[in-house]
Amino acid sequence: MSAVLLQLNPLDASNPDIHLKIGALTRQLHDSLQQLGLTEKLQGTAQELPDVKSRLSYISRLTGEAAEKVLNRVDQAKTEHEKISAQTRRVATLLANDPVDTLANGHLNLYLDDMAKSSQLVDQHLTDIMMAQDFHDLTGQVIKRVVSLASTIEEQLVELLIQTAPAGATTKPSIQSVTPNEPSLSGPVIDKDHAVGSVTEQSEVDALLASLGF
Amino acid sequence: MSNQLRFLVVDDFSTMRRIIRNLLKEIGFTEADEAEDGVAALQKLRSSTFDFVVSDINMPNMTGFELLSEIKKDEKLKHLPVLMVTAEARKEDIVLAAQQGAAGYIVKPFTKATLEDKLTLILKKTGLQS
Repeated sequence: MSAVLLQLNPLDASNPDIHLKIGALTRQLHDSLQQLGLTEKLQGTAQELPDVKSRLSYISRLTGEAAEKVLNRVDQAKTEHEKISAQTRRVATLLANDPVDTLANGHLNLYLDDMAKSSQLVDQHLTDIMMAQDFHDLTGQVIKRVVSLASTIEEQLVELLIQTAPAGATTKPSIQSVTPNEPSLSGPVIDKDHAVGSVTEQSEVDALLASLGF
Repeated sequence: MSNQLRFLVVDDFSTMRRIIRNLLKEIGFTEADEAEDGVAALQKLRSSTFDFVVSDINMPNMTGFELLSEIKKDEKLKHLPVLMVTAEARKEDIVLAAQQGAAGYIVKPFTKATLEDKLTLILKKTGLQS
């Protein structure tokens, strides 16, 4: 049984033909890539892979930060809400017990002032929660780019498969252009430390425009 | 800041359109409509009356640059201030937007204060608000 398996194993290094076969396959692959003009394409795609990694890290970081921010603001808003509830209960009791004293001692005015401040704070937390949702737009743009690269790789592999299919193959895979429009714009800055030719914050935009007289 | 100026918010992400519309409301501008790309925006601009456009750049069908160019070519629309609110952070894009006639440029992510500052500045410059 083991002898049969050994015979079937194509990677049996003791078989001198294997080296020749691998060599021939490599040569065939190389020639096919050259003929198709895929060498440069694949090289370009390979160079983009580290960029994909940093783009995915950017998505992970941004979504994580957004979730953290939302949860923090919800906690703060809830604390403020509990304060409002407790104050309201306290003043309601005071009013029920001695309405004149409550008004005379300024309890009601103090309560109204506190409510105005608390409500402003809650509103600010709600705005922050809303602003945290901008990650959807920013990560969406980055995801589109990653999908575009994946489609390019897929298309190149299909081309390669067609080119290297055995002569007698009855069904050849069809080429379907799956590459979406390659965005010509750069999208968000995903690595601030290596943002050559790009700005990383609004003050830089303002300074650039001011320097040009706009 | 509060008045009846009518805004058109253009962005392919509905989340961002909602964020900007909500911010405009908080700042005091309650009249706003939205479009998901440049093509839809042009249709709305030509069939209705607006005072201000807030537009993204990277959008399908028609980019913000193309929309800006179409607005500035159109006799009836060219007076409209266009504020670009975008993730495009390349210096050449910022300069290009200014050269094409954008009234302002905000890079995402941004804050409510930044939007309010830019709106105040543009509205004063254009005389839409004293």
